[in-house]
Amino acid sequence: MKYTLFTTLLCLFFTISFAQDRIDKSPLDLNYYPPSYPLLKVQDKVKEAPVARILFSRPQKNGRTIFGSLIEYGKLWRLGANEATEIEFFKNVVILGNTIKKGRYTLYAIPQTDKWTIIVNKDTDSWGTFKYSKDKDVARFDVPVETIDNPVEYFTAIFEKNGKNVDLKFMWDNVRVSIPISL
Amino acid sequence: MKLLFIALVSLCVITACQNETPNTSSNIIVPPTAKIQKNPYVNLDQSPMDVSYYPANYPMQRMKQQDTFPLIARVLYSRPHKKGRVVFGNDGQSLCKYGIPWRLGANEATEVEFFRDVKLKGTAVSRGRYVMYCIPYPDKWVIKLNSNLFTWGLHIDPSTNLATIEIPVQQQNPSIEDFTMLFEEAESGVNLIMAWDDVKTVLPITF
Repeated sequence: MKYTLFTTLLCLFFTISFAQDRIDKSPLDLNYYPPSYPLLKVQDKVKEAPVARILFSRPQKNGRTIFGSLIEYGKLWRLGANEATEIEFFKNVVILGNTIKKGRYTLYAIPQTDKWTIIVNKDTDSWGTFKYSKDKDVARFDVPVETIDNPVEYFTAIFEKNGKNVDLKFMWDNVRVSIPISL
Repeated sequence: MKLLFIALVSLCVITACQNETPNTSSNIIVPPTAKIQKNPYVNLDQSPMDVSYYPANYPMQRMKQQDTFPLIARVLYSRPHKKGRVVFGNDGQSLCKYGIPWRLGANEATEVEFFRDVKLKGTAVSRGRYVMYCIPYPDKWVIKLNSNLFTWGLHIDPSTNLATIEIPVQQQNPSIEDFTMLFEEAESGVNLIMAWDDVKTVLPITF
């Protein structure tokens, strides 16, 4: 009797634990430049390789104050949730004077009230900021913070065309930053 | 023994209570469709993307400074929900029809990357990145690797297929609401488990 109850409880416990694990609270997302590249590809609207893609998780604001509170000013942030945000360039690009070679990188940010320091780091497939090592930095640069009128509930990263070049935009809550990428 | 018993009961009660808290917006069990808010830039996906690694939870293991062997594989796929529908079948109602290629997920084609040369059920596959899809049948799945990367859905050019592997269909019990792919350690390597509804398949990987 004791053991039956024990086993039942153990099973119950595991069932509940697994049920909670079903889907990430902050789901992963993927954006390309050119935007919607996979869709354009199946419509035969692009022939050349994509330029870049970003793989990031999307935490939600959920009524909280984000910058200065949930994400403290001056501290390293994974630019998302869960796994550190990954950016891949399919060709060499230049960001604010820094040449970034074709390849896969982790992106971090150090948010401040008026600017974010963006860090491009060679160490990929890591969780959060825990494995961050400055030795593996490829570039560091500052971008100004803009305030937006309609707060964004889910953290968002997108590429937008800007003339001959591309802007990588991060938006969350009432904050937006824009990273100019020269092709 | 008694103490262990009491500890387990408390644990179960605590976990159960957590599970039954009302559906606050942070509750992860709510289907994403119910709470997706408009975003002026990119909305949340109805079938969210997920990533699975081998070694399992590789990024987290690294964070915990655990000794882990090098990265072997990762799969990037989207997770459609069953939502009361017939998933695998032959009639018009079924989401994934027997004999028709399926992208093993939703939205973008599923991408698998091997960080070293591997064998998939004996078939040699070079280190690299591939689109992976399947042709489901009642008793087997035909798994295909394809070199046409960064694509949406399945507009597959069969001339870019690189490998074909057949694996038997097993019963998934209890059935699974959200399509799931994960790597599990096996006796002689790794198994890539693919499961949805009452179907489960296992792709053996050796390296």
